[in-house]
Amino acid sequence: MDPEAANAIIQATAAAKKSGVAEGLTPAQAVARCSELKIRTRSPSQETAATEILLQTAGAFSPNIESTALGVCTLELKGLGLEEEPAACRWAEKIPPALAPFYLDAKIGIAPTPELALLAAQVEMGLSGGDGPSNSHLRRGVRWQAKRDTAFERQTTREIQSDGQQATASQSGVAATALQDLAVVSKVPKKRAFFLVQTADAFIAQLPLEALQPAPEIAAVLARWGIRTVGQFIALGKNEISERLGTEALGLFKRVSEDAIRPLKLVAPPEHFSEQIEFENEIETAGPLIFVLRRFVEQLALRLQARYLAVGEFHLRLGLASGAQYEHTFKIPSATGNVETLFRMLQTHLEMVRTDSPIVSLQLAAQPARPDLHQFGLFENTLRNPNQFAETLARLAALAGMENIGTPVLEATHKPDAFRMRRPDFDSVPGRDSEPKTTDGLPLRRFRPPLPAHFEFRGAYPALIRSRMFNGAVRGARGPFISSGQWWDDRRWAREEWDIETTEGSLLRIFRSSDGCFIEGVYD
Amino acid sequence: MLSEKFPGARWNWTEAPAVENHFATGLPQMDEPLQGGLPKGALAEIVCAGSGSAALIRELLVRAAGKNQIVTLIDGGDSLDVAPIEETVLSRLLWVRCRSAEEALKAADLVLRDSNLSLVLLDLKLNPQKQLRKIPATTWYRFQRLIEETAAVCLVFTPQAMVSPAQTRMILRSRFSLNSIESPAEALMQDLRLEISDARQFRERELLQNSA
Repeated sequence: MDPEAANAIIQATAAAKKSGVAEGLTPAQAVARCSELKIRTRSPSQETAATEILLQTAGAFSPNIESTALGVCTLELKGLGLEEEPAACRWAEKIPPALAPFYLDAKIGIAPTPELALLAAQVEMGLSGGDGPSNSHLRRGVRWQAKRDTAFERQTTREIQSDGQQATASQSGVAATALQDLAVVSKVPKKRAFFLVQTADAFIAQLPLEALQPAPEIAAVLARWGIRTVGQFIALGKNEISERLGTEALGLFKRVSEDAIRPLKLVAPPEHFSEQIEFENEIETAGPLIFVLRRFVEQLALRLQARYLAVGEFHLRLGLASGAQYEHTFKIPSATGNVETLFRMLQTHLEMVRTDSPIVSLQLAAQPARPDLHQFGLFENTLRNPNQFAETLARLAALAGMENIGTPVLEATHKPDAFRMRRPDFDSVPGRDSEPKTTDGLPLRRFRPPLPAHFEFRGAYPALIRSRMFNGAVRGARGPFISSGQWWDDRRWAREEWDIETTEGSLLRIFRSSDGCFIEGVYD
Repeated sequence: MLSEKFPGARWNWTEAPAVENHFATGLPQMDEPLQGGLPKGALAEIVCAGSGSAALIRELLVRAAGKNQIVTLIDGGDSLDVAPIEETVLSRLLWVRCRSAEEALKAADLVLRDSNLSLVLLDLKLNPQKQLRKIPATTWYRFQRLIEETAAVCLVFTPQAMVSPAQTRMILRSRFSLNSIESPAEALMQDLRLEISDARQFRERELLQNSA
């Protein structure tokens, strides 16, 4: 159903049609005819994604492709070395499995002209009954015996047994005499998922007129004249058709003419890889979101894999009910197509996301990249699995906070304990002029924040200390050590420091500033 | 020259390949009693009965950076003083600053599952007794299973002995004075007193005595 088109049914499955549902009915009328009917709303975004998938997959089979219509793609086979039938068959048989992971059912027609190929694909769709899964019950317990002569796909007699019923259909040439016979044939498991037109004349001669989808007026006139097949239609002659039926009928004639080799309007497969969905109901929990997200990750990885690419970056966008959007970009440390690795990265992040409103839409776009080929050095100790490390970092950040995970970088200031944390970069080995050295002096174990304390001074030196952790007399002290900085702005600081040893043997660094007295750390 | 660059290389096809089961720290008071260094794929514990644990951590960071080894320091008390450490050493450090022992153990669980991180220091020296008492004993056994798979080196600094499955336990008994605050690094390392208490050998000895 297309809510933008008068809220009417625009397409129905074969099972729905059998129940009396037809295009043009309102949903209420359709449900009245079939109480078990399931009505789906048309999704332009998913149709666009399906078209992108079709073109990107087609791009892997031919360099020259045309986006003929929504869901229809024409490929040029010239120059691909597929002149021989076995080669063409092998080539065509690879297309349905390439589209199957995306839940797209391909119907393929191979013919000398683009229009004939489209008609052949439509014939193939008619052969399959237009609805594969619903015919599956007929395919169980079916035995197909065929007599083949030396010509390709030329059969004289077939016996079909289906669930105890017997029917005999005879056909000649590559195409059946009528779609009704083709419908019977469709109940037989096919060996191929494509229709190859070997002899265009024979194909056109037997093609039913309905395949051309003539205007109702023209169809009515031709029906009165007893014209049932395209062959009979063409036999009228171009001039007669033009004079008696008009330019529209002439257009139909030109479509099936063997001379109608129109140039393809070539398109390049779209370079962006994106999946999106608008939810019918608002999403308030992570469960449904993660389910859809996993499917998107699988689809995108497959689409990229078909073009020998990997995911270099993900861009996630969540549409909220309030109208706001949540966006986040995930940089993949090592471009990969591994679904588990990619999905875990997204899942770990989503577990931390909190939104003010429920989620109404989800879009996931992938930035393609060449798969990483890692040359490990002989003398380097770098990351073996950058993606695993990125996931570990993400989980650590979720646990302790991003500001508490990473590599410390010293700030250019004399202020004590001035540093910032940055994301670790272990992929490159830093250049060194010499071996690293340990600095002199006993290191400090810092208290962050410094421990508030109370000092009692005797003269200029601390004699007694009281705090939450350390209490007692001071056995020895060195200092004071005066330091200050940034006197020119409001971040100025100044302090007096002492190194003390308590009677219990603890070595402490204490300081006094405008904020009070503190224990900075213990020497250890 | 090649033998110095590749000490583990074989020079004769009849020689058996050298298998490194230990991480050499470069500290004689640690490598010699442990017959090569800290064991790989096993827990090691340093009980900080005295002083010197921060000096030991700093020394391990420097020596690991000299080998371009990535070190993960899970700092249970967020107490590492980074200012005196060279930038080239810090660049090979993954510092996990935790606010409690529980957080440090959860972080250790994540880190030990990552095969990229083969040298892990878990510092619980400054965590209060109240937090350490809540650590289930099974935690250490779980960590032991994890590092057996990755062959990582995991060294745990504790205020008292608590890592039951530790293959190696050392007791730090150093004492420093006010004069040590500005001592040279070499002198501090020489004054470091490590008493090896091999937990596994102790249990085997106990079993032998009981059976006798």
